[in-house]
Amino acid sequence: MKKYMIGRVIAACVALFLILTIAFMVVRLMPGSVYDDPNLAPEVVAMLEQQAHLDEPLLVQYAYFLKGVIFENDWGVSAKVEPGVPAFDILKRQIPYSLTINVGSLALALPIGIVAGTVAALHKNKAGDHVVSILVVLGISIPSFVFASCLQYFIAYKMGWFPIIFEPSKGTGMQIYSLMLPTIALSLSPIATIARYLRGELIEVLGSEFMVLARTKGLTQRQATIRHSFRNASLPLVNIVIPMFAHVLAGSMVIERIFSIPGVGGTLISSINTNDYSLAVATLIFYALISVLTSFVIDIVLGLIDPRVRLGGSSK
Amino acid sequence: MQEPYVLQVKDLHVSFKGQSGMVRAVRGVDINLPKGKTIAIVGESGSGKSVTVKAIMGILARNAVIDQGEIWYEGKDLVKATEEDFYQIRGKKIGLIFQDPLSSLNPLMKIGKQISEVFTVNYSMSKEEAKEKSLELMRAVGIPKAEERYNQYPFQFSGGMRQRIVIAIALANNPDILICDEPTTALDVTVQAKILDLIKQIKEERGISVIFITHDLGVVANMADEVYVMYAGKVVERGTCEEIFLDPRHPYTWALLSSMPDLESKDRLLSIPGTPPNMVSPPKGDAFAARNRYAMQIDLEEEPPMFQVSDTHYAATWLLHPKAPACEMPKFLQDKIRRMREEAQRYAR
Ligand SMILES: Nc1ncnc2c1ncn2[C@@H]1O[C@H](COP(=O)(O)OP(=O)(O)OP(=O)(O)O)[C@@H](O)[C@H]1O
Ligand SMILES: [Mg+2]
Repeated sequence: MKKYMIGRVIAACVALFLILTIAFMVVRLMPGSVYDDPNLAPEVVAMLEQQAHLDEPLLVQYAYFLKGVIFENDWGVSAKVEPGVPAFDILKRQIPYSLTINVGSLALALPIGIVAGTVAALHKNKAGDHVVSILVVLGISIPSFVFASCLQYFIAYKMGWFPIIFEPSKGTGMQIYSLMLPTIALSLSPIATIARYLRGELIEVLGSEFMVLARTKGLTQRQATIRHSFRNASLPLVNIVIPMFAHVLAGSMVIERIFSIPGVGGTLISSINTNDYSLAVATLIFYALISVLTSFVIDIVLGLIDPRVRLGGSSK
Repeated sequence: MQEPYVLQVKDLHVSFKGQSGMVRAVRGVDINLPKGKTIAIVGESGSGKSVTVKAIMGILARNAVIDQGEIWYEGKDLVKATEEDFYQIRGKKIGLIFQDPLSSLNPLMKIGKQISEVFTVNYSMSKEEAKEKSLELMRAVGIPKAEERYNQYPFQFSGGMRQRIVIAIALANNPDILICDEPTTALDVTVQAKILDLIKQIKEERGISVIFITHDLGVVANMADEVYVMYAGKVVERGTCEEIFLDPRHPYTWALLSSMPDLESKDRLLSIPGTPPNMVSPPKGDAFAARNRYAMQIDLEEEPPMFQVSDTHYAATWLLHPKAPACEMPKFLQDKIRRMREEAQRYAR
């Protein structure tokens, strides 16, 4: 396990470094410059660019960037979106909002999806299964922003049960309350996906030969199901639930807009639009970091569940 | 009065709901398992061997229906038993060993736990006690370094070793009856012999009664006291090993014996021509008639009853009818049987 973990950590570090490089290059190679402002005198622009090392060759700039990031946690300063504020501070302020609705929606989706999928599998082709499959089709086909708008209109605006948009100023309790609707909106598609996968996997496992053996050992159907099927069915589930985190994060850009949540999603768009180099690079890297982390977590969790992965055996 | 049989199957009929109608997989099977004996059920693929034992174990697929028949065990008719009744019987009284040891173990659970959970779950033993018992069993079925193996996973075991584990699991419950459904088909030849020896040894040590299923008559000879030959969901001939091998009466048994490899007739192996009938609409008369060189008009019209050959020997073929024309088995098979008989005598001396 130790050897396996070390391998995964090294792989994650390499991936992060590559992403850092690519994010930097892609943003710098975009046409235009932050200081493309007709109102500024050319001398001033030259001075500003010199200050930001923009007059040097790209590789030298990259070296400065790496030095700042690695040794001083300096991700540069926002030039346009919030001029003068360090990119790191902007993200630090926004990330908690984005993470709250993301983690919240997955925390909501997991138990509901698991229960729905299990009910469907155990009642295959009966009423419970049909109800779940209708919900699954709805959940997968309705985009989260449509669902979000509906919730906003009916539940918040018409019924008045929830704030219509994010309430930044009225304390933590109120903030969380106002984040509930977007969280629910985001959880719909994960619920559907989890339920659908778990149903399929469970049905397959329940029909497998080792379940028959478990019963011929003298275990009851219930004991056999609990002891032998959930763990086996959850194995493929890991592969879809954890990447969902990155998916939900991408989906939340729009949701954040709809509910005026000051999260990272808006910043990515505005920083790229305004050529705000440092902020754009930092935001991109934040998203990339999440992806790398999720695949790292998948590897670790799979290793924990599946001895064939952990011990380097063949996985059939 | 002492009950001579530990298990009795009477006139069992099992069908499956299929897309093109009911599949009549088992159509009237009678089996008597004497205490402490081994009976073998042989027959081609699809003849209903597994379905019969699944009915005994109460693990038929959901689309299965037992149309009629009785399965008597300890004064209870298992056909009428509920799932709860089976919890007391399945595994604990009647154990089952499967065809494919590769897929019958849970890939994510340690070998040791798969054995010891029998003790912890069924008999609420402590973990330590269960482990002791499991290690004992692992040694008994011939797993070297049991202690070390206890904490390994199925993928770290070879096919033969896995089958030994499956046997250990079956033995953990200390059953009266052990059903082996083609336990060696998925294994290579050298391993096959070892597993067969193990099953024989277990049977003798523990006095278990065994139902041994195979489509290979060769392995039957040194395993079984009695042989049941099944074809298309029916028992077509039954008798002691000697009777089946040295004095077979049913043309299907002749065909099976002819297709059995032996040292001298390698070049003359005859596979049975044709294929088994469609079980959705089984043919009228003798189901084997279409593939039978000796078939008579009546074979196509009426089903043959079981004719008695001796106290222990029965066969369902019209050839045994008093009015049937005399009919000899093929010359080639006669030679083969003569060789087997000579060999048997050589062993006896
Ligand atoms: N769940 C099922 N649904 C429909 N038909 C089935 C089902 N299970 C078995 N059958 C049919 O029942 C018949 C007998 O099958 P069975 O498994 O008993 O054969 P077998 O004698 O054990 O053969 P093998 O040597 O291949 O194991 C086959 O024709 C098979 O197609
Ligand atoms: Mg079978």
